[in-house]
Amino acid sequence: MRPILELRNLKMYYDTQAGEVKAADDVSFTLNEGESIGLVGESGCGKTSISMSIMKLLPENARIISGNIFFDGKDIVKLSNDEMNKIRWAGISMVFQAAMNSLNPVYRVGDQIIEAITTHEPNVTFEEARQRVANLYKLVGLDPERMDNYPHEYSGGMKQRAVIAMSLACNPKLIIADEPTTALDVIVQDTILRELEKVQKKLNMSMIYISHDIAVIAEVASRIAIMYAGKIVEMSDSVTIFKRPAHPYTVGLMSSFPSIRGEKKELVTIPGEPPNLLNAPDHCRFAPRCPFATDECWKSVPSYSEIETNHFVACFHPQNLKKRVSANV
Amino acid sequence: MMADNSNMTIEAEAKLESPLLIRSKLLWRAFKENWSIFSKSKIGMVGLYIVVIFAVAGFIVYPILADTVWKTTSLNAMVSYNPVTGYDFLQTNPAPPSWAHLLGTDPLGRDVLAQLLYSTPREFMLGIVAALITVIIGTLIGTVAAYFGGALDTFFMRLADIVLLFPFIPFLIVISGMMQVDLLTLALIIGLLSGFGGITIVLRSQGLIIKSRPFIESAKVSGASDAYIIVNHIIPNVMPLSFLYMMFNVTGAIFSEAVLSFFGLLNIKMSWGLMIYTADTAGYIIGSNIWNYWWLWLPAGASITLLCGAFYFIGRGLDEVVNPRLRKR
Amino acid sequence: MMLKYIGNRILQIAILLVIYVAIVFFMLHAMPGGIKTLLISNPKLTPQAQEAIIRAFGLNQPLWLQFVDYMKNVFTLNLGISFSYYPTPVWNIIAERLPRTVLLFTVATLIAFFVGFASGKSLAWNRGKTTEYVSTVVGIITYTIFTPLLIFVVIWFFGSFLGIFPLNQFLNPDLWIHTRLNAQVIFLYILMTMLIIGAVMLVSYIMALRFSHKVRTRRMIFYLSTAISVIFSVFFWWVSPVGIYAADILWHMVLPVMTVTIISYAGNMLVMRDSMLETIKEDFITTARAKGLPDKVVRDKHAARTAMLPVVTNFVLSLGFVVSGGVITETLFSWPGMGMTLLDSTLAKDYPLAAGALIFTGIFVLIAHLVVDIVYAFLDPRIRY
Repeated sequence: MRPILELRNLKMYYDTQAGEVKAADDVSFTLNEGESIGLVGESGCGKTSISMSIMKLLPENARIISGNIFFDGKDIVKLSNDEMNKIRWAGISMVFQAAMNSLNPVYRVGDQIIEAITTHEPNVTFEEARQRVANLYKLVGLDPERMDNYPHEYSGGMKQRAVIAMSLACNPKLIIADEPTTALDVIVQDTILRELEKVQKKLNMSMIYISHDIAVIAEVASRIAIMYAGKIVEMSDSVTIFKRPAHPYTVGLMSSFPSIRGEKKELVTIPGEPPNLLNAPDHCRFAPRCPFATDECWKSVPSYSEIETNHFVACFHPQNLKKRVSANV
Repeated sequence: MMADNSNMTIEAEAKLESPLLIRSKLLWRAFKENWSIFSKSKIGMVGLYIVVIFAVAGFIVYPILADTVWKTTSLNAMVSYNPVTGYDFLQTNPAPPSWAHLLGTDPLGRDVLAQLLYSTPREFMLGIVAALITVIIGTLIGTVAAYFGGALDTFFMRLADIVLLFPFIPFLIVISGMMQVDLLTLALIIGLLSGFGGITIVLRSQGLIIKSRPFIESAKVSGASDAYIIVNHIIPNVMPLSFLYMMFNVTGAIFSEAVLSFFGLLNIKMSWGLMIYTADTAGYIIGSNIWNYWWLWLPAGASITLLCGAFYFIGRGLDEVVNPRLRKR
Repeated sequence: MMLKYIGNRILQIAILLVIYVAIVFFMLHAMPGGIKTLLISNPKLTPQAQEAIIRAFGLNQPLWLQFVDYMKNVFTLNLGISFSYYPTPVWNIIAERLPRTVLLFTVATLIAFFVGFASGKSLAWNRGKTTEYVSTVVGIITYTIFTPLLIFVVIWFFGSFLGIFPLNQFLNPDLWIHTRLNAQVIFLYILMTMLIIGAVMLVSYIMALRFSHKVRTRRMIFYLSTAISVIFSVFFWWVSPVGIYAADILWHMVLPVMTVTIISYAGNMLVMRDSMLETIKEDFITTARAKGLPDKVVRDKHAARTAMLPVVTNFVLSLGFVVSGGVITETLFSWPGMGMTLLDSTLAKDYPLAAGALIFTGIFVLIAHLVVDIVYAFLDPRIRY
């Protein structure tokens, strides 16, 4: 198992008129070849900021303060835009949050995919590229005939599939899927996720799923990282996260989604408001909403530590919590 | 004692809170909010300053100067100076700027500065009357077409298509060649013609957006008549947009008047366009020596440009208030 | 699909045309004295000629029959007899002058469109720099400046101060006095040459799209065939004995074209800037960047191409503005096109010619509208289906 992507203490801040917004604060994780990881958190917790940092597609007012992003052993934080352009799509590709709008309305869908291929592999002829797109279309379950249609002639689900096909066009080593199915209805959502998972397994690619929906992520990702207010608060494999959640926020996230198979439970909402990233406090960021918060939590920031093998938590009272949860179950 | 006092004021206020007062308070608050956005727009403020300067010069400075400084140059020193008939025979004309005539005199010996200031209120009158007519017609038709839809809607939209394509200035040229057109008639013609044009299309689409808002539905349920809903709910909400278009229409009207009087087609005694016409027909504006008699055309031309531009600037500034998408952040 | 769309548009434009003529008719009718007086009030007309006009236009009939006759007359190009050029029919004068306006407008509009498009594009792309600020201000000034003022300055600067361009007129009389050539014929030849070059460009563009998928090859096919056709036509005019006369006309065209361009480019530029700023925020631009496309490709192929659509729409809306600028330009440069004819005939109380010029100005605008509509359909695939 070779690591394909490694984030080391990444800090990405936005400069706004109101002040500095810490969208990613000291984020670290490692992703191995062929592995998939899910980033879960509320909207505005910095998930998309991380994916944009990895692609180095930062808005003008955002910058990477410190930290490293190693892709395939190379630190891409230091790369120039031209060097980065070689890695984009050929090394790391993306399935975007709003697939509805991520296709240019004035070009044929097939041509937009071919454009990506010929940019990175200038030796590929047009016919070869078309053939490859046709194969990709079959792979994601689209009729290759539809290549010559414009985006407005596609349905939402078809656009999503086309965007997935586009992300596969240059055989990338890593795909970032940012809310790949949020805008779709549940049935299509499920099919597309299975499709993605199948393709990923088949082509042995690494994958980062980003979603606010922990249930969706758990189905496809082997590991899950829970984000809160720009920080990763808990990370482990999906089974452990579901069986022994250690951070109160994770518990809250899971009980706010209904389960079909389990017994009827009242859905618990997490009290309080999502955090404001603007004025980052020097205590645990979840403390204002945490039912288990003690004085300790209000004094300092909990460190990110391993409580069992491959299970990392940033909380002062993880053990404590585990007992309560298991007592409840 | 203190408590009593504050109670009393609260009661007094409660008694005074008539619907009219609430409405005017709301209006005032909306005005303040919009003003704070508008005042951040540099271009809009520049426009506003220019308009205010012209208004002060035309409405306040001119009457004072005409009654004092220029009175002596008048043939009949008993009445205030009239730049239409106020010939100055004591020198050769056109005379360059001097202390007696700050911007010189025209070929007939009339003071150019006085002519400029004399025309200013008339330009305002023309622009504002024409724009008001346009906006009133446009708002009524736009909202009614949006509210009722159907054949009425189709008819007015097709009509707007034609008016939009109308060769406006050529049309006005032919009309004013065939009949005597004075300032008020011109304002009426311009106002009526453009009232059925593009403004109805824009206001209709805005009206459609507002029509789909829930408060229209609730007004209908509570038994409000169609006319009541249009007047009390839809029109107030399209008002900012109407106001924006009013600014652009003022520009258009002043420009049209200037062009027509520049060609000597209007039945008026004095206007900025006519000043240039007078100089042009008297042969003082010939390619090679335009700068020899610059005071004959530059002040008037610059005034037209500045006032047209100023209203256009205000329009662009208002655009940022009305279309939040254009704002920087 | 495309044909159906174009057919639809042509039908709509035809209906608009009829309504437009109707508006002009009723406007003339509402004038003091009505159409009858307007058409026959010329003292040069003999009673017989007056009688003939009354018969041709059915001016003694009830109003609605007059209207039907008038409509018929307009579409058979029977517009009466000009007073000031008696006894030339109005249509002959218009037929002579319409092409001059069409040429002036087409050239100026195309230049204005491309200048506005390119500058608006780079303004939005380089947002926040001093150049952006300066060119926005310059653009707004040229957009709001009083047209005659601009023309005075242009005439003075280029005609008198630099002295490199002829001041006004359509041609140089000293040159033409020695020849029996008709300026109109030469002019039509120029127009034809331009049409041929335009057609070559269009065909080579379509061919390039068909035959190659490499951007570089496409570009080369297009530029090469355009260059060849331009060189060939320049050569043709060079060796032909009338070339010097054509050059004279073109030389006189430079300043009017420049003026109309200056008047109208800023509108395109400002719309392009706003539209580009909005397009840059779209998701598909992020996708294009993420695909690793070079910045230039993202800017030109993805952002500018999509941001162009509102500019084309705005062009239709600004047609009226450009036409009125054109009237002033033609008049002040003594360019004998439709605008100058319209104004001169109005001032000379030559009502048949004024009405005819007005109608044909409207027809010209409507046809320009139709052309832009069709171009738009080619540019935006969402319209076609």
